[in-house]
Amino acid sequence: MKRLWTTFRYTFNGLRWQILGWGIGLALYGLMLIPMYETMAGQQDQLQKLISSYPPEFLAFFGGDADSLMTPAGFLGMYAFSMLPVIVGIFSVLAGSGLIVSDEEHGRLDLILAHPVGRPPFFFGRFLGMLGASLGIIFLGWLGFSLLLGQSSLGFTWGQMAVPFLSLFVQVLVYAILAFLLSMFLPSRSLAAMVSGVVMVASYLLSSLSFMSEGVEMIARILPYHYYQTVLSFQELNLAWLFALIGISLLMGLLAWFRFARRDIRLSGEGSWRLSR
Amino acid sequence: MNTSNTTIPDREIALQVQGLTKSYGKVRALRGIDLQVRCGEIFGFLGPNGAGKTTTIRCLLDMIRPDGGKAQVLGLDPQADPVTVQARTGYLPGEMQYYANLTSERQLRFFNDMRGGQADWGSIRQLSDRLELDLKQPIKNLSKGNKQKLGVIQALMHRPELLILDEPTSGLDPLMQQEVLGLFREANEAGATIFFSSHIMSEVETLAQRVAIIRAGEIVEVAETSSLTHGTLSRMTVRFKRPTDFSELIKMPGIGLLSQVDQTSITLQVTGDMERLVQELGRLPVLDLETERPSLEDAFMNYYHEQN
Repeated sequence: MKRLWTTFRYTFNGLRWQILGWGIGLALYGLMLIPMYETMAGQQDQLQKLISSYPPEFLAFFGGDADSLMTPAGFLGMYAFSMLPVIVGIFSVLAGSGLIVSDEEHGRLDLILAHPVGRPPFFFGRFLGMLGASLGIIFLGWLGFSLLLGQSSLGFTWGQMAVPFLSLFVQVLVYAILAFLLSMFLPSRSLAAMVSGVVMVASYLLSSLSFMSEGVEMIARILPYHYYQTVLSFQELNLAWLFALIGISLLMGLLAWFRFARRDIRLSGEGSWRLSR
Repeated sequence: MNTSNTTIPDREIALQVQGLTKSYGKVRALRGIDLQVRCGEIFGFLGPNGAGKTTTIRCLLDMIRPDGGKAQVLGLDPQADPVTVQARTGYLPGEMQYYANLTSERQLRFFNDMRGGQADWGSIRQLSDRLELDLKQPIKNLSKGNKQKLGVIQALMHRPELLILDEPTSGLDPLMQQEVLGLFREANEAGATIFFSSHIMSEVETLAQRVAIIRAGEIVEVAETSSLTHGTLSRMTVRFKRPTDFSELIKMPGIGLLSQVDQTSITLQVTGDMERLVQELGRLPVLDLETERPSLEDAFMNYYHEQN
């Protein structure tokens, strides 16, 4: 347990600037966006006319339609939540793909694992460090979005604001662990990041365009963004979707562990396309 | 070729591998290695680049999993109980890479934390003083040699029972090489077993009590260092008083002509007993003769040339 804690501590500490950078960025966006609702609400009629003139495909991209976009939930969905999985997802993909493989590609893993830490505590310490960092970013973001709620006519409580952030956290988890899993199988970190980044962006685009055809919707259904929920109440939250995504993430994490426990540690510069040995 | 190890009781064996094989795709890096290193011994592992030295070492530390064969380190299976093996072992990899933004001290604290605080800072400071390494310097500002010193400190700092060193003096200047070899000798005198790989013959000759020579993934020789260097091979330069016909000399079994300046000076390679050669020389007008003790490098090169 001590060895796991040591690894967790160093991993979390190593990610501290990213937690602060991404978290504070997200929080500042929230602090700027929440007061904007008052201005927008004051110009509701003009905005309604403007929004109605937009093509529905454009509005669907931002998670709504002309009628819903001026509601408090629609406003937050359009200007924040619809894009956050992709924005914070960049952190997830980079952190996940480099969690262990970055040290391996730089030739440091050999020496680290020559210390009596053991592969299981090392793996799970790093894994938990990444989860902790993701949670830290989401927490700071939620804090930024909630601080000014009391002075806004949006009408949401801090608790209600936590609901979409919970769903966002699960999205971030899926992409981070997908990148982590791929980094265990693919020959380089950059390839793992690229593939998981493509999945993330495709997931967002196809889910946003899923109303256009049944074919696109069918594909979107197998992608994580389709199950992203921007609702602002626990009652409306689809827990089955939430837990299904968590389950899939854990399964991917276990697969990554299965691979890491059995594979050779590469020296810097080594690499292989071979999937098993 | 002598690859046999005399039978050593299990309790006296620090490190043992039997029939170790490892392939990378179609490349057979290890082709059934057998080795035994005694407790308290300094054992050199000699071979050119790509012979399989690092692969063997990485199998011993559970970095890579062998395809076949068995390894035991300090009586333990490194795959079954890697943490205990690593706790009792100090490892210096062939290529040292660190977190470049940390200072040497922070990096050592990281390694010490990974060891559960096994090391004491008094001995770390002593080591850094002897190696003239400023621990406050960021690693990104360190030269290759200073990074190597940091590696030496992390390998020694917890006073391990076994030191596994891959090219331990790589990148160090000659003075510092001597200091580092001195540290390893002191660790050995304090009871540590040392297993180190190298392709620097003088280093192996100075430090190792026994050596194994590895070639293309196979152990081709295991011997006492002294028996290799004082073995059957030597070099003799003979100068004659006047031009002399020495053709009978070089027809003798075990004698090879290495070089000839003219009919008055020749250099011979002598394998085996010198007695018959000296008798034969007695019949020739010898001005002087000089014999050279073969170095480990000569023995090694001779071995490789024979193989090729």
